[in-house]
Amino acid sequence: MAEQKLVTITIDGKAYQVPAGENLVDAARNHADNQIPVFCYHPKMAPVGMCRMCLVEMGTPERDPNTREIVHDEDGNVKVRWMPKLQTACTQTVSDGMYIRTTTDQVADARNNVLEFLLTSHPLDCPVCDKGGECALQDLTMAHGPGKTRMVFSEKMHLDKIVPLGDLIVLDEERCIQCARCIRFQDEIVGDDVLAFHERGRTLRIITKSDPGFDTYFSGNTTDICPVGALTTVDFRFGARPWEMTSVPSIDPWDAAGSNISLDMRLDRDFGGRAMIKRVMPRQNEWVNEIWISDKVRFGHHFTRAEERICAPLLRNNGNLNEVSWTEALDTVAGVLKAANGDIGLIVGSGASNEDLWALRQVVNGLGSERLGAWPVTHTGGELIAQVGVGKGTNLGKLGKGDVVLIVASDIEEEVPIWRLRIKQAHDRGAAVIVANARKTRMDDFASHTFRYEAGKAAHWLADLKKSAPEAAEAVKSAANLIILTGAEGLTLEGHAALMQAAANLLIETGHVGKPNNGLLSTFPGANGVGQYYLGYTPEQSVAMAAKPPKVLLVAQADMLADDPSVAAWLDKVETIISFSMLPDGITAKFAKVVLPIQSFAERDGTFTNGERRVQRFYTAQGPMGWSLPLWQIANRLGEKLGQGKAKLSAAAVMKEIAASVPAFEGMDYRALSKVEKQYPDVGGASDSYYYSGTACKNTGGLGVVIPTAADKGETVKAGEVKLPAVPKAGKGEFVIIPSTRLYNREAQFKLSTVVHPRVMVPFAEINSADAAKLGITSGDVVQISANGGSVRVRANVNGGAPEGSVVLPRHLTDEPVPMAITVGQVSKV
Amino acid sequence: MNTLQEKYADRIETTLAKYPDKRSAVMALLYIAQEEYGWVSPEGIQDVAEVCDMDPTQVKSIAGFYTMYSERPKGRFWLQVCTDLPCALKGAEKFHHDLKEYLGVDEGGTSEDGMFTVEHVMCLAACDKAPLLQCNFHNYEHLDMEKMKVLLDQWRAEVNAQVNKS
Repeated sequence: MAEQKLVTITIDGKAYQVPAGENLVDAARNHADNQIPVFCYHPKMAPVGMCRMCLVEMGTPERDPNTREIVHDEDGNVKVRWMPKLQTACTQTVSDGMYIRTTTDQVADARNNVLEFLLTSHPLDCPVCDKGGECALQDLTMAHGPGKTRMVFSEKMHLDKIVPLGDLIVLDEERCIQCARCIRFQDEIVGDDVLAFHERGRTLRIITKSDPGFDTYFSGNTTDICPVGALTTVDFRFGARPWEMTSVPSIDPWDAAGSNISLDMRLDRDFGGRAMIKRVMPRQNEWVNEIWISDKVRFGHHFTRAEERICAPLLRNNGNLNEVSWTEALDTVAGVLKAANGDIGLIVGSGASNEDLWALRQVVNGLGSERLGAWPVTHTGGELIAQVGVGKGTNLGKLGKGDVVLIVASDIEEEVPIWRLRIKQAHDRGAAVIVANARKTRMDDFASHTFRYEAGKAAHWLADLKKSAPEAAEAVKSAANLIILTGAEGLTLEGHAALMQAAANLLIETGHVGKPNNGLLSTFPGANGVGQYYLGYTPEQSVAMAAKPPKVLLVAQADMLADDPSVAAWLDKVETIISFSMLPDGITAKFAKVVLPIQSFAERDGTFTNGERRVQRFYTAQGPMGWSLPLWQIANRLGEKLGQGKAKLSAAAVMKEIAASVPAFEGMDYRALSKVEKQYPDVGGASDSYYYSGTACKNTGGLGVVIPTAADKGETVKAGEVKLPAVPKAGKGEFVIIPSTRLYNREAQFKLSTVVHPRVMVPFAEINSADAAKLGITSGDVVQISANGGSVRVRANVNGGAPEGSVVLPRHLTDEPVPMAITVGQVSKV
Repeated sequence: MNTLQEKYADRIETTLAKYPDKRSAVMALLYIAQEEYGWVSPEGIQDVAEVCDMDPTQVKSIAGFYTMYSERPKGRFWLQVCTDLPCALKGAEKFHHDLKEYLGVDEGGTSEDGMFTVEHVMCLAACDKAPLLQCNFHNYEHLDMEKMKVLLDQWRAEVNAQVNKS
């Protein structure tokens, strides 16, 4: 980045050099260690100057009218022309020669008066308020406010204390101090203006009249930035006091964004006196998630302590699973593996950590097998990510004018919501966002151009961009920075491979590789989809196993039957299946000979590699469930039984081995991964910042390390051949079925989060209105969709964006699984 | 097509034509909705939101900020009496009181037949013509109860005539 121009400003008599154009509140904080108190100002949003808390004295040097020289007084000091009234610091940007006073009586008086005014109608229910202890109003009142009130209690305005704004957020109207941070967050950052003020004066309230109410995927963030306890989540409401909890750094276990989070733990009665997750809070990482997290991350943590968890090793005897000791279970598994003569397959889900992947691989490799399958088999092209993935130093938050983000075949809001949030903001800053999909998706609302292609033909569209979309081709060519983001919606595995290759080719041809903010991204499912590739697992191997099933199959953290009903056919042919699982699923119920209970991300240490190849650490937070163990440890112990060497004592030791053996992870020990540096805005950790940026927590767990791509390292990368796949064609009376992703679904882990239940959609399918008319279907009708030998019943939604001749069928909403990849099938009204 | 679009297609079109974008027309459209439903009802908010392509929350917010949009059901005739000091000196306070008594309503209340809502308001900018009231945003000046009774009967008759016709 070019050197920023510096200007000199004087705060309380001392001169500081600060970057030109910076907001005065930020500049004072960052460079002069002067914390100007604020309520409505937030460093991530445009200033509005509503709360008047940041009033300061401001002036400019007096100049002689004739000579334009700066006038000095007798003592030789610059004579300052102070403005007659106080100014709001948040609406000022610094300019050269600006003079500020923040410690004068006038300023102290103003702060005192603003606080007294806010407190005239603020209920003093701090002892039962969720925000008490991390409340901006409390902190600032202690620092600047009046010690006594001049108001009589009966003069307070009383408003409703329990107003549900949606299913997840509850508003206490009388605590609200009308800063509009939540309204502005929804409008500016999310782009979903479902909150607004109603009436005025003392009866001013936050309302939503939208249908459904306040249900965006980011609603929980408003409770973080709310400076008082007006907004609370149904999950944490009256759950604990802030000072009782310990913050443990962790990583979002759901998607490729790898949002940094904090698990706020308390020794809890409801969990046998052990450490339990009371709430999930964002942890600042300006490269990854800034200070935001999606509601799925915030509210989806209940599975870690669910009753349904498998708590002891299980062994199948006469068709029934019985609890056994670890020794017996591991002896049995070791025996089975030894007897397999190397005819062993391993399939690991995308939620397993790098350590797990490595340790399991050692076991299988040690027995002479190289069959390492990644699950689910929707996304591929890891080798292209390793070649031309987004350059080291990429920050979606820095994209702006002249830059282009091309999104193909992804419903990004449902797949990786944090990316959608950040790309939306890039769009607001002037970046061109081009969205191409077979149907309308939410991202269309924030796109500069939208394109449609025939279902399944994403690679065809992108490979021939000049013809299929000349406008997009032109934008891509002239882009200052270009990121291509692919999804796998409506594609087969081959289809996604071709799309990735076409995207890589385009990046290489236009020279957008090996630089920050340029390159390839993909919405790999799970927290560690990219890590799978780097540790030798590929979806193609999983597919190959279907063609030639191994004698013994190890399935780890992969709910295969829920993802793809067709696997049952080949699983039947496998002699012995060993399952490593957290929760009961189709494999444990019917197929597994032995079930080994594994721990969730909250109970153990580990690392995930996110979609941008950032390797990030998560830490042990929760007490373990029953006899479950970390997956890597089970693998290590199994290795020990098989004579492959002693089990490691910690995840850190496993990571050390990975760093020594896999070039991509070179130098990545746990110490390097836990390094932090100062970030702006300066967030969290001390009471002087709750009012500034909210309760998002300071990053103490590490910013992670990015694996460099081949292009980053200066290696030559070459375009490859795009193998365009055959696209399923619907015959007469048939429909093309496009499986899609929903963020809120009924996957085994997520459905255990009771607070989100009301927000999970009733199973539905989008049908084009023309097709619906032909079949006599209207919205809400139950339809049966049959494909690949299975069928599901769902409600029809005719208003959606399904293209003619196809049906968009969300996965993981129904109990019976739906197809994983694009296919053809029948639709009939029930 | 919602009720508003069906019934007031022409007026909506001319209103929208006055503004550079649809969003700007929201206040003018809210008056149409108020006319149709008698108040800014949830249906009215929804209709206007659809016409201006806005979120209903934002429309509601605007309706809530301005006092000339009524967010409660009102009688067919919305009588607003100014009782500020200059008017009060000319007997507006008594007039307001008598009017309520005559119609048998409390402040802000609606007469039993759903015909009249009486409300006191701040300055209507016609102090010299007090006592005065605004009925559905038209001024009626130099009033006393005698004149008022005539007006009330007249309005009632108008409505009854309309009802009988249809």
